[in-house]
Amino acid sequence: MIPRYQRIVFWSLVGCILLMAAFMLRGCQQAHKRLTALNNATPLAAPTTAATEEVTLYVASDSDGAIRPVRSQVSLPQDPSLRARALLENLLTQYSQPDSAHPLQSGAAVDDVFLLENESRSGSDGTILVSLRGAFADSHPSGIEVEQLTLDSIIGTLHAAFPDFGKVRFLVDGQARATLSGHAGLDHPYALVDTSTRGTAPSEAAAQP
Amino acid sequence: MRGPHLSDLKTPQTVTRTCDLISTLTILLLTAGGALSAQTPAAPQPSAGSNAVEHTAPAPPKPPPAFYRNLIVLDPAHGGPDSGAQLSSSAAEKDVTLSFAQKLRPALAAQGFTVMSTRDSDPSDELTTDVRAGIANHVRPLACVILHATAAGSGIHIVTSTLTEPDSKSVSHAPRWNEAQETAIGMSIKLANEIGLSLQENHIPVLLLRSSVPPIDNLICPAVAVEVAPMQSTGKATPASDSAYQQRIATSVSAGIASFRTHNAPAPASVPAARAGASQ
Repeated sequence: MIPRYQRIVFWSLVGCILLMAAFMLRGCQQAHKRLTALNNATPLAAPTTAATEEVTLYVASDSDGAIRPVRSQVSLPQDPSLRARALLENLLTQYSQPDSAHPLQSGAAVDDVFLLENESRSGSDGTILVSLRGAFADSHPSGIEVEQLTLDSIIGTLHAAFPDFGKVRFLVDGQARATLSGHAGLDHPYALVDTSTRGTAPSEAAAQP
Repeated sequence: MRGPHLSDLKTPQTVTRTCDLISTLTILLLTAGGALSAQTPAAPQPSAGSNAVEHTAPAPPKPPPAFYRNLIVLDPAHGGPDSGAQLSSSAAEKDVTLSFAQKLRPALAAQGFTVMSTRDSDPSDELTTDVRAGIANHVRPLACVILHATAAGSGIHIVTSTLTEPDSKSVSHAPRWNEAQETAIGMSIKLANEIGLSLQENHIPVLLLRSSVPPIDNLICPAVAVEVAPMQSTGKATPASDSAYQQRIATSVSAGIASFRTHNAPAPASVPAARAGASQ
């Protein structure tokens, strides 16, 4: 037979344990809410608005060697470097679609983009540095036409989006490289110009002395 | 101690260089007969009535001609450890360009050209594009033809440099190595059109492109890169490695280069006159 005072002490202890457990559970929940709220409110990066806007992408076609401007609705950040990078990723992603006229392998293509503005002079003399990923360059189809079309496509798209810049230079994984995939040279800067051209056919007039 | 012997000096490398030098001189001598000195006027010949002092005076050295109108340099791209593009499971670009060069050489010879190639086999070491450009620039050919092959696109891609002709102010300066093609770009575009028209006559699809494919920017001669892509016809694709397809292209390209020579570097008018005088 358990004495009465022992039963009172036992149930008192059980009640205390339950109260403490409830108190700790409540405390943990409140701490979690407080920390979550703190994380959400921390301004780690500048607020961005990724509104959809119309841009011009210069799309290449292998069959006729043409670059055609295509209007497209793309969601872009406001920061110029991030904007250029998102624009190029969007362009190169189109080439990994099954029905692409200039098929390239899928996957991230652009490592980083830097906009170097020359403030000492007026006019369009800034340079855009485009660092491509090594995996993209290594898996790019090899050939003069196909490599040059990729470069012209990037050049035309950047020219349309950043008309204040005059040159673009290509790097691979942040390093200078002689060619994209064995043919088109990357060892010199390219002029940022409108590259929307059709492949040229030979003509009698151009062959005349 | 013994003095140095000739056998000591003739290392294999020395012999190879000597052979290279002899072969280059032979080519120059062979092509000297057809040399066109359009930009370098011929040295004046002594007249029949000149006095003895003029006869004994040493003749000034004749300046070298601007280019040799019968000499073509072929550059089969890649080679050695650089295989280029993998066109199929069994065909590497370096082998296709070499086999195409071996078909183009006799086709050009049939048009009266002397052909020099930057490589005639698959070398063990990589031949850099700077070395290839140096070989071509030293012999001053009428044209340089860089050969490539690809599995992308269709037909033949004839590529000229992206450089533009220099403005008149900078003509007096020697061109820089990476912009050496500037002075010849006008002629290169004419050459590309001549080859393109010849290919079109043989019903081979052609596309003219501009690209800075090494070593085209370093060449001082009229230069084009000919890229052979598969030919699509009625759902059937002929690969770039196809021998009959390459032969058709070689015939057309050689005819185009011959047409370029006829239009832009005609035989000197003095040659028929001299022959006529000799026959009289």
